[in-house]
Amino acid sequence: MESFIATGLIGISLGTQYTLLALGFTLIFGILGVVNFAHGGFYVMGGYVAYYCNVILGLPYPVAVLMAMLSMAALGWLFEAFILERVIEDHQATLMVTMGFYLVMATAILMIFGAESPQFPFPVTGVWRLGGIYFPYANMIVLGACLAAIVFVYWLVYRTNIGRGMRAMSEDLPVASALGMRTKALFPFAFALATGLAGGTGALVTPILALAPHVGDSVLAFSFLTVILGGLGSVTGATCAAFIVGLIEAYAAVYLGGSKGALTLFALVLIILVVRPQGLLGREVRRS
Amino acid sequence: MTIGLGRLVCGSLLASAGFVGAVSACELKIGVPAVLSGPAAQWGIALRGATEFVAKETMEEKRLVINGVACTVSVKSIDSKYSAEGAASATSALAAEGIKVIIGPVGSPEVTGFKPVATRNRMVAMVNSFAKNSIGPEWPTVFHIGPGPSGWAAPIIDVGLQRYKFKTAAIVAPNDQGGTDIASVNADIFKQRGVTVTEEYYQRGTTNFAPIVTRIMASNAEALDLASSPAGDAGIIVKQIRQAGFTGPIFRLGGPGTDEIARVAGGLDILKDFLWYEPVYMDDNMRALEQKYEKLMGSVRPENSDFFRWTFAARMMIKAIQAAGTIDNAEKIAAAMRTLPVEDEHIGKGYWIGQKFFGINQEMSYPFAIGVIQGGVKQPLIRAEAVSEK
Repeated sequence: MESFIATGLIGISLGTQYTLLALGFTLIFGILGVVNFAHGGFYVMGGYVAYYCNVILGLPYPVAVLMAMLSMAALGWLFEAFILERVIEDHQATLMVTMGFYLVMATAILMIFGAESPQFPFPVTGVWRLGGIYFPYANMIVLGACLAAIVFVYWLVYRTNIGRGMRAMSEDLPVASALGMRTKALFPFAFALATGLAGGTGALVTPILALAPHVGDSVLAFSFLTVILGGLGSVTGATCAAFIVGLIEAYAAVYLGGSKGALTLFALVLIILVVRPQGLLGREVRRS
Repeated sequence: MTIGLGRLVCGSLLASAGFVGAVSACELKIGVPAVLSGPAAQWGIALRGATEFVAKETMEEKRLVINGVACTVSVKSIDSKYSAEGAASATSALAAEGIKVIIGPVGSPEVTGFKPVATRNRMVAMVNSFAKNSIGPEWPTVFHIGPGPSGWAAPIIDVGLQRYKFKTAAIVAPNDQGGTDIASVNADIFKQRGVTVTEEYYQRGTTNFAPIVTRIMASNAEALDLASSPAGDAGIIVKQIRQAGFTGPIFRLGGPGTDEIARVAGGLDILKDFLWYEPVYMDDNMRALEQKYEKLMGSVRPENSDFFRWTFAARMMIKAIQAAGTIDNAEKIAAAMRTLPVEDEHIGKGYWIGQKFFGINQEMSYPFAIGVIQGGVKQPLIRAEAVSEK
């Protein structure tokens, strides 16, 4: 029983991390119609910015996380406004441009920081225990921060004019534009929000796992999987799917073995997509 | 007529000059398929650093002289990505450049992808890998830089058993040949000593090992072996299993990389009780080699101590090329290598082994060391003699 509860905690932790990543990924697809293959790159770079600020410059960790979010949001804004915007109508070009940008980011990190993992410890150590159940304080803090960020994104998307504008563009771009929604402002904003979230997640998660130039690869894979499962463009779908993915991954890995965890996850996703190709909460036809 | 004769003479002179140039040019290009990205990058950086060092050393000290001409030596490194397809692709690219002499690759999946391409393109190579078929009679021009855990896991486990009491152990490794081959060899050695073993495998690319840690904790293992898990992965496993309350000794019966494991895990305190295979015993000779590297290359040597084994291997290759008198005939170089004694100016004498385990006597064996961290404090290395089949 203790093992079952401990596994549930692992699954929820994974789920919140995947939610933050998937929210950004699905926002970009829902609003811009772009599959952002550079998403993992923003996650890693966020981790490195936080590392640089915290370990090299000696800034407090919360400030480092904030710097990571802001710098990745700024980079995302610039990337969208000056590069992606030029090819936004061409889906193949957007794939190539985002993939290329990821390679540029990964190589830049490799050149600046090297291929080896730096020491980037989480400032809080210690573990909460209850019998055989344990939960590191660092994971608790990250869980809390991720939940707060998820609430913020929901508030922004569903309770503010900017959010309404973004959702309107996601629903029907030509009509939203005709009604005065400014794509030149909202597209970069949506992209910056997503990349800021990715950077913040990287800053929060890499100290409790590991920071290395390659860790964005698996982040991209799981974000993509989560968003496909939830339904491309669906914010609520991505949130539900992230927790499903996190819990399946944890329970399958614990009860079937590490190798079979990923296999089970992909098999289940495959079955769900065969039964419901548009994903759990996705629309059948994307209109914008 | 006069003009025609003049042209003939000039043409002959130019042709002769070209011929002389062709004869005098001796340019050895060494191919290095090395993992330069991902969690195993530290191993590839050591390989690349060692080969570049030996190339420079060879030229500076004129160690390779063929037909009276001192050869230039250059190194072409390509990222083999710790995968069979990455290594096959890198080797094909090296073959396309006409390269016949290879140092590397590092990992078992890479060596599996490398060997067919290397054999097809008639290359001679010094490879690593702890796979059960790293070398063999099917690949007569492939040599092994040193034994895997079959050679050195037993003495390390014995040291562990002397210092700590445990009757059960869990082994965690990637679920490909780079993990399963090593884990199964280690498991046999643990079992021979009366230790009950469970094996846990994970998909390469895993970044959160909490579920695997939960399984290990549920198995009530009293000791853990990280086997050949890349240093980056191993660091996360150590960090998470110590958080889960695991207090037993941790073995690292795979490639070296303790410094990076400690960095990722959060320091020596987290490693606590840790034993590992160290390719060399650090003495004055090894420190002299480090200083030589710094002097020649202008920087400190690559952090991973596999640098030393790759240095010995690359030097051995240069000696074989010198003995063969050719820079591009793989069979001749391999034949010359077999006749040379295993010996290096810094580590001393070793043995050719491999007949019993691989069916071919093409594995170099030098003295090695056992690393121990006890109570979070690094202990002096324990020297172990070279494995011999005699």
